Amino acid sequence: MKKTLLLAGAAIVAIGAGAAWIATRPAMDAPAPTGIAILDADKIEVGRYVLPPDKDILSQPNADEILYGKRLLADTKRLLPDHVGAQMNCNSCHMLDGKIDAANGYINTANFYPRVMPRAAREVDLTGRINGCFQRSMNGTPLPKDGAEMKAMIAYMEWLRQGVDKEDRVDVVNAGVIDESLIPDPVNGQAVYAAKCAACHGANGDGTFDQFGDVIFPPLWGEGSFNIGAGMARTYKAAQFVKWAMPPAMHLTGQLGQGGVLSDQEAVDVSEYFTHMPRPDFAPKVNDWPNGNKPKDARY
Amino acid sequence: MRIAIYALLAGASALAVGWGTAISSQWWFAPKLTTEVDASDPDLIARGEYLARAGDCVACHTAPGGAPFAGGLGLQTPMGTIYATNITPDPETGIGSYDYGDFERAVRQGVRPDGAHLYPAMPYASYRVVSDEDMQALYAWFRSSVEPVRKENQPTTIPWPASLRWPLAWWNMLFSQPRDFTPPEGGDPVIARGAYLVEGLAHCGACHTPRGLAYEEKALSEDAGGSFLSGSVLEGWYAKNLRNEDTGLVTWSEEELATFLKTARNDRTAAFGSMSDVVEHSLQYLTDDDLTAIARYLKSLKPRAGREQWVPQEDVTTAALRAGDFSAPGALTYVEHCTACHRLDGMGAPEVYPALKGNSMVFADDPSSLIQVTMAGGRMPDTPAHPMAFTMPGFAHLTNADLAELMTFIRNSWGNHASSVAEADIARMRHEIANKPTHYAPEAGQ
Repeated sequence: MKKTLLLAGAAIVAIGAGAAWIATRPAMDAPAPTGIAILDADKIEVGRYVLPPDKDILSQPNADEILYGKRLLADTKRLLPDHVGAQMNCNSCHMLDGKIDAANGYINTANFYPRVMPRAAREVDLTGRINGCFQRSMNGTPLPKDGAEMKAMIAYMEWLRQGVDKEDRVDVVNAGVIDESLIPDPVNGQAVYAAKCAACHGANGDGTFDQFGDVIFPPLWGEGSFNIGAGMARTYKAAQFVKWAMPPAMHLTGQLGQGGVLSDQEAVDVSEYFTHMPRPDFAPKVNDWPNGNKPKDARY
Repeated sequence: MRIAIYALLAGASALAVGWGTAISSQWWFAPKLTTEVDASDPDLIARGEYLARAGDCVACHTAPGGAPFAGGLGLQTPMGTIYATNITPDPETGIGSYDYGDFERAVRQGVRPDGAHLYPAMPYASYRVVSDEDMQALYAWFRSSVEPVRKENQPTTIPWPASLRWPLAWWNMLFSQPRDFTPPEGGDPVIARGAYLVEGLAHCGACHTPRGLAYEEKALSEDAGGSFLSGSVLEGWYAKNLRNEDTGLVTWSEEELATFLKTARNDRTAAFGSMSDVVEHSLQYLTDDDLTAIARYLKSLKPRAGREQWVPQEDVTTAALRAGDFSAPGALTYVEHCTACHRLDGMGAPEVYPALKGNSMVFADDPSSLIQVTMAGGRMPDTPAHPMAFTMPGFAHLTNADLAELMTFIRNSWGNHASSVAEADIARMRHEIANKPTHYAPEAGQ
């Protein structure tokens, strides 16, 4: 009898100890982010940049303006149909609201302009840069420079800067490196397109649309695509993006699990293929690179 | 003193009788089969290969990166890890010395030629219903066509005395009685074929049927209580409810189900976790007729009382998010991390990114799979049906608080309705993910 009691007691203690262990083991949570180095003009680290969660926008004095800017960047075609000719959003190229390394991020954008740009051969400010996108990549018309939309987009980029000093840079790149000495083979590019791109962008490059007719995956050529004046129309510039930002959803890590699937040669081949498919013209192209020094993959 | 001696003697004889009963039990029901199988018959071999695919033998009996069927995959149980064995026809370390009777006894009865019992991690309780003809075909294929590999088996990490094999005879008498396949009522041959595959070789219940205290599947075929294939948690994944009811498959059509089994995706969802492996190694190779049979059988599993339909609530989320109203808890985190693929309308991109709206994995009774795939990511398998297979990255870098709020949002938006997810659920999953079993058994002698 005593033994039975003892055994029962031991069993209860054992179960209790197990439950207590589970209840008291240290709760695991996400480690604090380590951030990205902030570099000064001499590439010396002067601090760490931590990507801010969007929830932090809510505590900003101009929260509504920043959120509006974020929405415009993500849903540009739907929200600004008069200014966007192509079936594209800013996020189509500046992926995930400009928060990703090597996918044309906005983290340093507000600090980068104004600046003398080689294509224009004059100083371009941020409004000018954004409107360049609207006229080329979006195949549309510029926004009023002091309108609410332009201000909201810039407010978002200013917020994303997180107070990094004007002359400093967060250690991210707009685009990854590609070997520009490679000779493109558009025939292989067509095969790469069919194997690795068509599932989303369509067998005919005409994109994919949702139940509202809004773009899911943008058209890569044809009337709905970016025009010939866009940076993305250049083989090696496109190849940088294709290699390091495309396709998304390939890996278990990374914000979008993006990129790193194609070899440099494949990226160059497929970029040659799709950039040279028919697409809208850009009449003001005659004003580009007025001082020469045209890059070798310029389209005109 | 005398009482103590009597008690000791009584205990010892009870143990002896128990042990004797257990080790002799394998001879009670049927003698070892003496059927001669022609392992050179090409038709038999071809059918055996197909059936081995249906049984997904390769999934467990192959370590990642290891030789096919040479064993080594670790299966996590509450008590320790069990390693799948070498079932290549190597005479010393594999099953090369098995005659057909030995093979049949191992696969359908869970007993090795030396009389030792297999751990029921091997789904022999399901394989009980496999027909003699199919068993013979399997034997012919394994004997003739699998490359023999010399590789010792890896001992289990389950501690003694739980690792003892002879008490499993008692387990078998309770939970794995000899039985023949009984077709479901109604006489539909397609449904009967589906039931035969689901209950038997495909052993769907190993993951999808809840288990009892002795780790037994609560039902091995359709049961009155409806526990068969009603969903179960294994290795931190919730293998979803497959019954034709609310959070099960009532919202799936037979065609959607068959497409999913063949290609690991359809317009609303995609496979991930263990199911991705099942499609990759097994289901994609089945004939369309067999997949339709499986789908039709699953759709014939009756709903439990009061769970006949799943009615979505009104979708107020799509319009709110499209209008920039991110005020719902979790909405802004969703828009930040998820909309790039799953979209403001929760519809994803058909056959590329799964929908969250109306996806019964999302509003499942148990959110474990949603939690784990969100934190650890998941991949679709490659199948010939699609040129590209996609991978969801993991979001374990978000805090428990953000993840709990986010998943509660996903489970209750676009008309979905389900229980909320707590921070403790996320913390628990972090432990689960950190303690995954190592699936690799080193080669003998290393």
